[in-house]
Formats: sequence, C-alpha cells, structure tokens
Amino acid sequence: MPTAHPSRVARPIRLGGARPIRLAAVALLDALALWAGIWLGSTGAWLLLAILVLGCAGINIAFLSDRAYPLRYLLPGLFFMAMMVVYPIIYTVYVAFTDYGTGHVLTKAQVIRQLESRLYEPPGARRYPFVAFQNADGDLRFLVTLEDGRQILSEGDQFHALEPGDPVLLDTDGDGTVDGLAGGYQALPSLGIMRHLGALQARVFHYGEMELRVTSLTHFARLSHRYRYDEARDELVDLQTGTVYRPVQGFFTSDTGERLSPGFRSVVGWRNFQTLVTNPRVSRPFLRVFVWTFVWAFMSVASTFVLGLGLALLLNDPRLRFRRTYRSLLILPYAFPAFISALVWRGLFNTEVGLINQILQAVGLSGVPWLADPFWAKVAVLLVNLWLGFPYMMLVTTGALQSIPEELYEAAYCDGATAWQQLRHITLPMLMISVAPLLISSFAFNFNNFNVIYLVTEGRPPIPGAGTPAGATDILISYTYRLAFEGGSGTDYGLASAVAVVIFVLIGTISYLNFRMTGVFEKVGENV
Amino acid sequence: MKRLAVALVLVALAFACTGQVLASEPGTLLIWADEVRSEVLLDVARTFESEYGIPVRVQEIAFGDIRDTLNVAAPAGEGPDILVGAHDWLGQLVTNGLLEPIDLGDKAKDFVPTALEAWTYDGALYGLPYATEALGLFYNKALVPHAPATFEEALELAKAAADRSKGIYGYALPIPDPYHTFPLMTAFGAYVFGRTASGGLDPLDIGLNNEGAIAGLELFDQMIEDGIMPVLDYATMQGLFTSGRLAFMQTGPWELSNVRQSGVDYGFIPVPPIQGKPARPFVGVQGFMISSFSENKLLAQAFLNEYVATTETMLRLFELDPRPPAYLPALEQVDDPDMAAVAQASAQGTPMPAIPQMSAVWTAWSDALTLIANQKLEPKEAMDEAVAQIRAIIEESMKR
Repeated sequence: MPTAHPSRVARPIRLGGARPIRLAAVALLDALALWAGIWLGSTGAWLLLAILVLGCAGINIAFLSDRAYPLRYLLPGLFFMAMMVVYPIIYTVYVAFTDYGTGHVLTKAQVIRQLESRLYEPPGARRYPFVAFQNADGDLRFLVTLEDGRQILSEGDQFHALEPGDPVLLDTDGDGTVDGLAGGYQALPSLGIMRHLGALQARVFHYGEMELRVTSLTHFARLSHRYRYDEARDELVDLQTGTVYRPVQGFFTSDTGERLSPGFRSVVGWRNFQTLVTNPRVSRPFLRVFVWTFVWAFMSVASTFVLGLGLALLLNDPRLRFRRTYRSLLILPYAFPAFISALVWRGLFNTEVGLINQILQAVGLSGVPWLADPFWAKVAVLLVNLWLGFPYMMLVTTGALQSIPEELYEAAYCDGATAWQQLRHITLPMLMISVAPLLISSFAFNFNNFNVIYLVTEGRPPIPGAGTPAGATDILISYTYRLAFEGGSGTDYGLASAVAVVIFVLIGTISYLNFRMTGVFEKVGENV
Repeated sequence: MKRLAVALVLVALAFACTGQVLASEPGTLLIWADEVRSEVLLDVARTFESEYGIPVRVQEIAFGDIRDTLNVAAPAGEGPDILVGAHDWLGQLVTNGLLEPIDLGDKAKDFVPTALEAWTYDGALYGLPYATEALGLFYNKALVPHAPATFEEALELAKAAADRSKGIYGYALPIPDPYHTFPLMTAFGAYVFGRTASGGLDPLDIGLNNEGAIAGLELFDQMIEDGIMPVLDYATMQGLFTSGRLAFMQTGPWELSNVRQSGVDYGFIPVPPIQGKPARPFVGVQGFMISSFSENKLLAQAFLNEYVATTETMLRLFELDPRPPAYLPALEQVDDPDMAAVAQASAQGTPMPAIPQMSAVWTAWSDALTLIANQKLEPKEAMDEAVAQIRAIIEESMKR
C-alpha cells in the first residue's frame, strides 16, 4: 500500500500570524461597528443597531475565543445570511400584514407631525406687506402695514402700534418712504431677507390676539395651526371646526366618516391575504397564472437541459473538429446581459417589422402574430428563455460528463448497446446525481423569472374577459408586480408582500418535497 | 491575511459610502432634477449661492425615478427641498403627504391658466409650472406634399404615401398607448373623468366607454384593418419616422430633437380635426414642487418665486428641453413655429387627470387597446370591460 507523501496529507489550515494581528483586526472591526452603531442610534434605527451589536459580539467571540474555533469559518456567512436573507424575509412578512402603500406611506408619528404643522389662514384674512430693517448686529425689525393703513413695528416677537410720524421712523433721504429706524437700523431690500428666511420660518409674531408669520419675501400673513393632537386620548382636534378625528384603519377619521389625508401605515392583520382569496379581481386569474408559471418553469428547465445536454454530447465527441470555436460561439448568449437580449428579442418578434416574421415571409410562410396571440406569445417567451439558458446547461453538463468513467461506455459498446441505450442507462443516471440540484435551482429561478417575461411581453397579451390586469404570459411574480404597482391606485406594498409570502411558501414546499424525493442531500452510499 | 485586510477595507468603504446620500438640511437647498434640467438649475444655483451665500445643491436623478425615490426617501428624512416633475404625479404624492402647497403670490397671473389648473389638486396649488406639452402630428414632407387640414385628408395622404412592399408606412401612433390614442376619442366626445359641481374630478363618472369613445375607437380599429396604420410600439414607430419610412407620426414634442437631428424634412402640426370636431390631446405640465419634509420651505418658496419664475430661467429651460413655457413673459419671446403648434395643441387639450387611481385607468385602457388592435374584441366590448375594471378599482380604493 503506497504511503501518502507527508505534504499531501490534509491538515487543518492554520491562520498564520499570532494573536496580535487577530486582535488588531478585531479591534478595527469593533471601531467601525462603533462608528456605524452611533450613526444608527442617532437616526433611531434600533433594529439594525441590535443586529449590528449581535453580529459584532459574535465576531468578537468567534475570533478571540479558542473554543469557538469552528465559528470563525461559519460566522461571517451566517451574519450576512441573517442580514441579507433572513431580515428581508421577516420584513416582507411583516409588511404583508400592514397596509403600506400609496396613501399609507408615512408612520403615524410623521402624519401627526405634518398635520400639526399645517397652518391655515382664517377666512377673510389678508396678507400684510412689510419692510425689514437690520442693524449692524444683524438684528431684524419689521414694519408691517395693516389693511386700514395702520403701521405696526416689531420688537422681538411682539408688534406694537405706531402713530404716523413716530420719531422711531426715519426718512434719511427725504423721498417720503421710511428707510431707517432709530437705533442704527437700515431698510433691507426684499431680496435681502433671503438669507434670514431659514430662521424666520420658525418665528411666530404676535400683535394683540393675531398670530403673524412671514409668508414670503414681502408679506406677513395671519396663519395659525389647524390641528392639535391629544396624546392621552389619541385624538386629533381640528381647531378651526372643532371636529375630532380618531385613528381608524390608517386614517384619522371623524365621526361622520371624513378622512384626513395623508394616511399612515398600520397593521391590518390578514386583510391582504383575504383580498387574495375573496376579491374576484385578484383571485380569479390566480389559478390560471399559477398553472402557467409551473408549465413555464418546467418547460424552461426541460428545453434548456435537453438542448444543453445535446450540444454537450456533440461537443464531447473527439471526432468533431473546431470544437473550441463552436463552444465559444455557443457560450455567447450566456455572456450577453439578459436584459438587453430580452429587449432585442422583443424587437425581433414584432409582428409587423420584426426580423423573424420577415424571414418567415421570405421563405413563403405567413407571419406569426408572435406577441399578440396568447399561444404564440407563450412560445415566444419560451424560445427566448431557451436561447438565454441553454449555454448554462451546456457548461454544466459538459463538466458532469467528464466525470463519467470511459470504461462504462466501452463495456456497453462491447455488450452491443446502441447510442440511445447508452444515453438512457449510463449517461443520464450518472448525470442526475450531480445535475439534479442544479435543475431544481433552475426551476426555482425560472419560477420567479420576472426579467424575461416582463421585458419580452410585459405579461401581455391581455386575457379578454379576465376583469383584471392578468396577461396570457404572466407568471405569478409579474402578475403580483402588475397588480400591486400598475393595476390599483398607485403602489400597494402590502398586497405585493402578501403574494410574495404565498409564492415563497409554495416554492419552499415544492423544493423541499423535491429534495426529499430525489434524495439529493443524502450522502453517497447512505441509502444503498 | 491579505484577504482579511481587503475585506476590512471594503467594509470601511461601504460604511463611508452610506454617508453620501444627500438630504435636505436647514440653511441649504437641495434640488432633485433629471440630467436635462439639472444643467440649467446648476447655473441658477450658482448665481443664488454667490448672492446670498446659501449653498444650493442639485442632484441628478432619472426623470422616471424621481417620484418613486421621493416616496421612499422623503419620509426617511433623505428627501430634497425642491423637485422637478410632471403634474400627473400629484395624485400619488399628495395622497402620500409628500408635497407642500405652493404660493405664487402676485406671479400667479403670469402663468398659463391651464397649467395652473393642472397643478391644482384638492383645491390647492402644488407646483410651479414651467412647460406644457401636448401631442401633435409629425409628417414627412418628402412623402406628404402638404399639411393636411383635416384628419380624413391625413388618412388619404397616408394611404397614397404608403407602400408596404418597400417598407413605407402611412400613419402610426404607438399601440397600445392610451395617451396617444386619446385625441381620436375626444373628437367624438369621450372623456376620462367628468367634473363635479364644484369643478373637481368625479372619479365615478367615467367617459371612456361612452358613444364618443366607441366611435373614436371604431375609427382606430378601421385604420388598422384598412392597413393604413400598422401595429407598432413606440420605439419602432420612432425608428421608422427618423429613417424616413413613415409618412405621419402622432406623438409629442419630446421627439422634436430626435427628428431634427435625423435630417428628415418634417412638419409638425396639432392633430387635425376629425369629422370637423377638434381632437383634444392630453396636456402634460412640468413643474417644480416643494417637498413637505423639507427643512427650508420658506426659502424654497422664495427661491422658486424669485429665481425660477423669471423669463431668463424659463427661456434657458426651454432651450435645453423644447416645450412651450408655461410662463407667459417667456412664452411671448419664443419664436419657434413648432412650439406654436404645441401651444395650439395644448390650448385645445385637457390636463391629464392626476388622481392616484390613474394607474389603474392606464393599465385597463391599454389592455383594451391591445385587444382591439389584435382584433380579439370589438371596441365596445373591450372598453366596457375596461371601464368595469376601473370602476371596481376606484370603488375599492375609496373604501380603503
């Protein structure tokens, strides 16, 4: 028995460098995390902060403790999986139970803040022109002319009435207009106030009972707050009319049913899922779209696999010349961005001026209504997906074919097996072990292949009499997109998330069952 | 070790990048505009900054993305002070509480009234309009001897000019495209939403399947069946016209720069009257809006009133993006005959409705047009179905 050469024995990799380097790296990471954590805390993103702290603590433990050695290899992957996969899933499930969407985009606190900051002019109120004065220290005073010609002058935030001819008003150049105030104040041109608008925005001036605010470069207006929020009783009161509004289903609603805009997002429980089932506009095409999605995914995988395998077998034959050239050319569809290819194909399939119809007509056949007819549109998207996907299958099967021992084929040839029998009894079974997981993942990918469907046909042509924006080539995910973002009133993230959750459950179950049945995760020799 | 160092550097960079998002800050102004308008705004910003020392930043975002980005960014505190967009965004943005009413003061009388009407929602003005547009008819002078005075004449000229064997087509508009098909329907009396007594839009009074609409769509259907109008999408139609193989193209002034560059000898007129009645297109108005999450609303308002609502800025915007200004002093100075055609078309058009339920309208209408164009359904059936869908969605949304 040959002894293994010492250098070929597998040994666990030792991360070179002593503890100081490890300490320095972890210290740097902690510094970054601290900086990010402060920033997150200041913006109030508590959930992300919690995740950051957990992740950082995990990294510290994993890299500094000797007992947690295996964790060093697992932890970064686990951390990013939690952030990029688990967290979005949890968030999507959460949104599915809310009414987040057009009309319910802000949080309740934001809506209250916005409504409370709304100012209104009492009916019959007028705008009052003003002149601003500034002294050397930069203090501002305003001279406002009221409707009856009276003038009032500000001092701080209070206005006082002035008699005409009051000595505080100065007219230094004798042209009849006031251009200065006693105490070193110079009149400012209206544009000169621009700099101060930021500060003036927040100031409220009083004259007797009137509340005055700066409303433009030249005018004051009587503006008051319209709403006031009572936190203890969770009510919003309209100060102008006295109506009381309570939060109901995402809107502040009065007793008579009047709703204040904007609404806020709120948890609505199972409403989105109920819509899926009970609303005929949404649920009627669901089964039809689901069946087509299945057929689409299955046919995509089957067609690309058959073509890919066929080409791989051809290119595997040593008798074929220029194999490398063929292989490079056949990889090209995979190299082009799928996005652009899909759009180009859309142009090629154009019934009037598309290249495919022109070729068919040149040969003597009639043009095919590719994207207009439901059946041909389905054929068109399947063809496009075949073109986009076969190079991947070809590459994968080429690799897998190399791993099948040559002796099996020689033995079969000696036994008199035909090529087809060799394929069925040797090639395919041996391939399946390595390729089956890829086929399943390709199925899952195509089940949700939004890009190809949306870019080539947008899910259309529309189904006559469907009563809903479902199209003949719509798969579940493109149907969801059109329902949530194009079919209703603006965007409806809640409904879209609910459908996404349903799709997730469906695909998860199918994939799990598939994995169990094909025994893909069993170790070789486990079930022999 | 090297890999760890690289990873740390990347992580540090990632964190550094998160600080780069521009947001509204007190004492400065942030404007969101697309690449066409940002050029002009940068100049205006520089002038403003040099005079008052208040920094004004302009961030370029693709036009189609501005509304959606605002929806997400503004509530998170990452939104701008001012943004540039189209008036049909109002429905969604105002319902989401993202816009602040605008006060033009005395300058209101300097704007085209239809433009101000388009920007008014729920009784308040939410935008400062700067350009109006409506679609018209481009024609290729090499294929069409003279401008048609009526729609019937246009169809005759189209039939004479078309030669399918040589790849020359007669009359085209993008199919399916409700915006482009609307003039054919309005000439016979169609409308989208009727008006309430107080002048607002009544979303339950839908006129897309009334007799006028059906008559217009039967004309549309007839044009396709007779072979005068091929079923093309927008890109193909535009490609055919700019390569000189299309006699009539019904689309809007945004194509002017492409058509001028293509070298085709073109003419541009409003869509001619159909059976003697005016074909009213949709009017779209572009304007400036103020975000309700802005920290500098007063300053933004003053900036818009004093620096954007000026003849100089309006003319510069016009230079870069040729559409008739909505600002009357600037409009008077514009000398371009194509612009006169657009202004004429806008004058006889109606503003696109801006309510948030419009997305449902466009989708259902577009599907109906596809079915009609593909000869799957008759106009009456298709539109009845579309209107039933629209009504269901609107009723649903009013209950939400």
